[in-house]
Order: sequence, then C-alpha cells, then structure tokens
Amino acid sequence: MDRETLQAAVCQLDSSIRPLEENADRAAVVVEAAALPAILRRLRDEPEFSFAQLLDHVAVDWIDRGQFELVYHLYSFKHKHFLFVSVFVPREDPRVPTVCRLYPVAEWQEREVYDLFGVLYEDHPDLRRLFLEDDWIGFPLRKDYQDDFMLDRPR
Amino acid sequence: MTVEVSSLKELVEQASGTSGSPDTQEYFVNMGPQHPSTHGVLRLVLKLDGERVLRCIPVLGYIHRSIEKISEHMNYMNCVHLTDRMDYLSSIMNNWAVAKAVEEAAGIEVNDRIRYIRTIFAELERIQSHQLWWGVLGMDLGAFTPFLYGIRDREVLNDVMEETIGARLTMNYVLPGGLMADIHPNFVNRVKEFIKYFRPKLDEYDDLLTNNVIIQERLRNVGVLSAQTAVQYGATGPVLRGSGVAFDLRKDHPYGVYDQVDFEVPVGTVGDSWDRYWVRVEEMRQSLRIVEQLLDNIPPGDFLVKKLNSKIKLPEGRYYSQLETARGILGVFITSDKKDEPYRLHYRSPNFNNLWCLEPMIKGDYIASLIGAMSSLDLVIPDIDR
Amino acid sequence: MGIVTDKLPGALEKVPGGNVLVTRFDEIINWARANSLWPLTFGTSCCAIEMLMATGGPRHDMARFGAEVARPSPRQADLLILAGTIVKRMAPRLRTLYEQMAEPRYVIATGACTISGGPFIYHSYTTVRGADEIIPVDVYVPGCPPRPEQLFHGLLTLQKMIKEGETIREPGVRRKPVISALPEGVTMEDIQGEMKELLVKENVVDVHQAVDKLKWPSGTNDGS
Ligand code: SF4
Repeated sequence: MDRETLQAAVCQLDSSIRPLEENADRAAVVVEAAALPAILRRLRDEPEFSFAQLLDHVAVDWIDRGQFELVYHLYSFKHKHFLFVSVFVPREDPRVPTVCRLYPVAEWQEREVYDLFGVLYEDHPDLRRLFLEDDWIGFPLRKDYQDDFMLDRPR
Repeated sequence: MTVEVSSLKELVEQASGTSGSPDTQEYFVNMGPQHPSTHGVLRLVLKLDGERVLRCIPVLGYIHRSIEKISEHMNYMNCVHLTDRMDYLSSIMNNWAVAKAVEEAAGIEVNDRIRYIRTIFAELERIQSHQLWWGVLGMDLGAFTPFLYGIRDREVLNDVMEETIGARLTMNYVLPGGLMADIHPNFVNRVKEFIKYFRPKLDEYDDLLTNNVIIQERLRNVGVLSAQTAVQYGATGPVLRGSGVAFDLRKDHPYGVYDQVDFEVPVGTVGDSWDRYWVRVEEMRQSLRIVEQLLDNIPPGDFLVKKLNSKIKLPEGRYYSQLETARGILGVFITSDKKDEPYRLHYRSPNFNNLWCLEPMIKGDYIASLIGAMSSLDLVIPDIDR
Repeated sequence: MGIVTDKLPGALEKVPGGNVLVTRFDEIINWARANSLWPLTFGTSCCAIEMLMATGGPRHDMARFGAEVARPSPRQADLLILAGTIVKRMAPRLRTLYEQMAEPRYVIATGACTISGGPFIYHSYTTVRGADEIIPVDVYVPGCPPRPEQLFHGLLTLQKMIKEGETIREPGVRRKPVISALPEGVTMEDIQGEMKELLVKENVVDVHQAVDKLKWPSGTNDGS
C-alpha cells in the first residue's frame, strides 16, 4: 500500500481519525488521546494493517500552540509499511493513556518521554524517570526549560 | 561429650529467622555502573534467588549527554558530528542516517559514486564493529585471547579507513550532500588486501570461538528470545534476526546500493545467544562479499554533489529516515519549522530498544548466563542514553 | 611491568661478595611507582574504545609502559584513566571511585570531554564541563578521541612527573598539571625510532636523554 492509500485506509477505521494537516514524509494520522489504545489495537491486529512493531515514540513540544505532539511510529513487517500516529495533548495537563499493554517496549519509550517532557501516561505500570535522577526538577526537553547549569553558546 | 550435627538448612533458617525454605532467599545485587562487562556505564539492579535472576532492572542515565537538546541549537551540518559520539562503533552509518534524512527532506539526489563509497564504508565499519564485539564477547566469557585477535584485525582495517578519513574512531566521513573527501588512491587496493587477509582470519575465529565447546555450552540455549517477544520489545538488527525474523533494512527497504549487490541475511532459529553470535559472525562474511562486489565498479564522479552551507533550511514538516547500523535500525526523526536548526531531532537508537529484551531473555536463568546474554546483545551504552 | 625505560637510579658499588646499590629512597620508590602503574578500567563512552581497548590491544600494547594490568576494582588500581564524558549522574560515582583508590593515585584525563565538556559543552543540561571539577587531574591528553600514541605520551609525561615530583615526606603532593601533546614536527615514528636506537645501543633507555633530544615543549617537565 502506498502512502496515500494507507493514510486513507486508516482514516476509514474510525470517524475520530483524521489525516495530519502538516507536511510529513510518511502516512500520518491524528487521533484523540482517549481513543488511542483502541485504535492502536485495531491497527495492530487487523490483518490489513498488522502494525506489529512500535518502532519509536517521540514527543514534540509545540510551545506556541500550547500543545505536545506525541508521535507513535508504527511499522508492519508483513506489509512493510510505516505510519505516524499523532496525538495532541494540552501542555498544561498532558495526559494520555499508556499503550504498553499493546507494545511492551512502549513502557520504556513512554518513560523516556515522561522524563524529558513530563507527559503523564495513565495506567502506566512503572512511571518514573529514566535518564535523570528522581529528584530532578523540570523536564529538560521542553522548550521553556531553564536551569542554572546550562550554558548558552556565545554568538 | 555430645556432638550435635546441624544442617545447612537449619543454619540458614536460624540466620534468616524465618521458617521458609533456604531456596527462597531473595536479595538484590547491584551491577554497575562501574563494571567491566557492562561495556560502559550501564547499571543493572538484579533481584536474585540464590544464583537465579528473578528480575533485572536496567538503570540508565549515567552517560545521558543531552544530545537531542544540543541538536536543537545546532544547524544540520553540525548535528552530524554529534551522531558519531552516540554509537561510536557505527559512526559512519550514524552520519549517513542524518545525511539521508536531510537529503530526503531537502530533495538532494546524490550521485552513484557517493552511494557506492558510502555503502562500502558502511560495510567495512560493520565488519569493524563486529570484530570488536567478537573480541569483547570472548573477554566477557573469560577468554582473553579473542580480544587480542579481534583488536589485531580491527587495527588492520582501521589503517585502511584512516588513510581516507584521517580519524580512527569518530570518523565523520558522511555529510549531507556527499562525503568529506574523496577516497584515497590506495583505497581500493588496500581493501582488496584486507579482504584477502581477513577471509582466512574468519576461519581462525571459527576455530577459536565458534567451534569451542565451552563457548557453545555457555551460549547455546542461554538467553532465549522468541520471535514474538523480540518484535514486541522493539528489537532490531542482529538481535531480531537471531530470533528468526528475517528483517533487514538493507534488503527490505534498500538504500545506498544495497539493491544492486548480492548478499544473504543470516537468520537464527532458536533465538538464543548462540544464534545472535552466529548471525554476527556470518554478517562479517556477507559484508566482505558486498564490499568485494562493489569495489571494482566505483563509478567516476564528484564526492560532493552540492556544497551545503551551514544555513541550510529544511521545508516545514516531519521527516523520518532510517538505516541499518551494526546493531539495528537507527531512525532519525526531524521536525522542521523552516529554520536552519531542527525544531526537534530525535534518534531512535537501536540499543535503547534492544536493551529491554534483556529481562525476558534472562529471567530465571543463572547470573553467569546474564553476562553472556548481555554480551550477545552487543550494547553500546552512549547510544542508549544519547 | 613492561620494558623499564629508565635506568635504576643510584650507583652500584662493587664490594667483595656482590654489589651494593646506593640510592635515595625517594628516587627508588618513585622509579618503581612510575614503572608499574595499574590503571582502573573506567570508560564511560567513545574514548574508552581507544584508550582502553585499542591501547590494550596487540598493536599499541600498553604493556610496554608497564601499565597493562587494568583492574576493574578501584582498590587495586593507582591510575585512573578517565575515558569518556562525565555527566551529572556519574559524577558522584566517579568521586567515590577516586576516593576508593589507594594513595598515591594519579589521574589522566583523556579527550575533550574530560577536559572541558568537549562537544557537549553548550546547551547540555547534564554534561559536566571538565573532570577537574570533580577530582584533581594530573595529566590532560587532548583529542576527540586522542590517538593511543597520545595516551602513551601522556603516560610517559606522568611517569616523568612521578619520578621528579613526589617525596616520601609529602606523598600525593605533586607539581602543576601538564598538558600532553606531541610537539610540532615530532611524529610517533621519530619517537619509536629514537627508542629503538637507544634500546639497541645500551639495552635500557634513558628517558631524560630522549626527551632532551626531542625538544619537548618547555613547561611540560621543568616542574616549576
Ligand atoms: S572526547 Fe570525544 S571521543 Fe572522547 S568521550 Fe568525548 S566525545 Fe567521545
């Protein structure tokens, strides 16, 4: 399936799924946070898609829009196709249900995002910091992160 | 005078103050971050029952250098240099991954010469990386000699690459838009010499480790990872292939000139440490084959199609590009907002995802097997932490 | 212990029935210490491959300088070769490792990262900008990563420092740290050739002599 067909086919799955408006070089869709686990389960299990692997999970801090974008990179060994699933959550209260029951590796990928962005994953079995100490203050990959330690490059 | 005979069981019961059996003595052992066989600063918290591993909790962050944050303040040409320092044993492939992402996003087509040279160097580096892994695997299992053999051959290859690149480890050879320099006039001949030198050495490797009963005993049926678990836990590269999933980006989504060469993807059957060992040794042979096929027909051309300046801007959007390093899929996710610095640059590092296979692999096994199993994962810790 | 690249300090006197060595305690102890450094295997990242693996390998062979007995335990080591970036989380562990080493202990900082933070100096929220913020460093070896030859030069510099520096009365008090870099126009081949020549000539090498011939940069060894 090529990019457009795949994107259209995924959008057919559920009325809450819509294509990503911004430019992306792979098929990309946007889903609602609450519907995420159910949709990922269907994407994984339905033979037409069979996205068996969650390759990656990335967060992007869109500070101007006041949103975090959470991107799930899905890959299917069977059909060799690739999909971005994006979820937008508000910056003030970033909450999203965990998908680590579907893809076990998400447990750590989500911990990484929590550690660096402070996104809270509901129902996560072991949500704690991954790279930084437990008493670290702030979430360093947020665009507005400041601390006394960081040096700016002299221009 | 009477003699009282006590048993070990009683002794243990007395000591622990419980009436449970001595088989259920659970305790924690901390392994790392300063440990010779965690290959860097990985820390594992092990919950043990006697010598059996009940849980294995990796603790990360001892080399978290915030590369992703630094990259947000760098232009695309500079970002390439930091990737060398992530998985330093696949530095050219890491450079290539970023270069590929930037080229795809900016719509730059590279010529055939660049593609050939990149592929050759990537394969040479794959060999180099596996040589080191092979030596260190021997060392982890208590044999020092393989280390000397591995490093010896690595240096030979290092000399060949150094002649062109000028660096020994952080090579920084691939740039967006081409290469740093053209290949050295001696390069082709010296690689041929190396292939002639290294083929028999691979058989020597087999004599030393592959056919060694002790090594086989310590690797076979140890750290078994089923294909299903490997997929679920996000494993890629030799770890995934060792478990019997024939997935290799070089075959399935060819890049470079991998679609023009003839090579096989070695695949394991059981998914134990032995299979992963075998897959890597076999990969060295296949890499030699690939290099051999390409070496004689490097087409003429420029080594840099377009001199990109540091102010290169990518069109707005999300770009993902991936390639197969010596350890698995390295993905580069760029979010651009039309500036010359990436808005967000994320690396999907192969080791980060491979690491989590350790616990399902080793649960219930002896702690001594843990070392062999971990060695067969071939972890590079700075790549996990980034 | 590898090839001892230095004559035993002192004078041999022939007396009936054997020889008597006349020397000073400081000298002979420093001589022994300098020629049997036991490094701790402390590698955090990229530099470790060059500093610990390549130098330990057969090509470069650290054993030539008597420093090949790499120990994973700090209690058995007296040389800490810092190979790789130090981040905030590792810093207390590094301090602990250093404190667990027995005196006299020496530190060689290799690579840009342990000198200044290297490529990760700006905008990094974790990278410690130089290992000397945590522990005292004796010799700096620049490079990213330094070549094994550079480490050897650093090692020879350290040996020289040890031989000249410490006294029994003040153990652990050393001269100013020195920077180890090959002087301009000098290649490793020169040094190797020099060493070979000297070895052939009289079986043992006097480093001080070799140093004078090579015109090492002033300030690296005058101890001021
Ligand atoms: S100095 Fe360079 S090679 Fe050494 S640890 Fe730092 S980044 Fe890596």
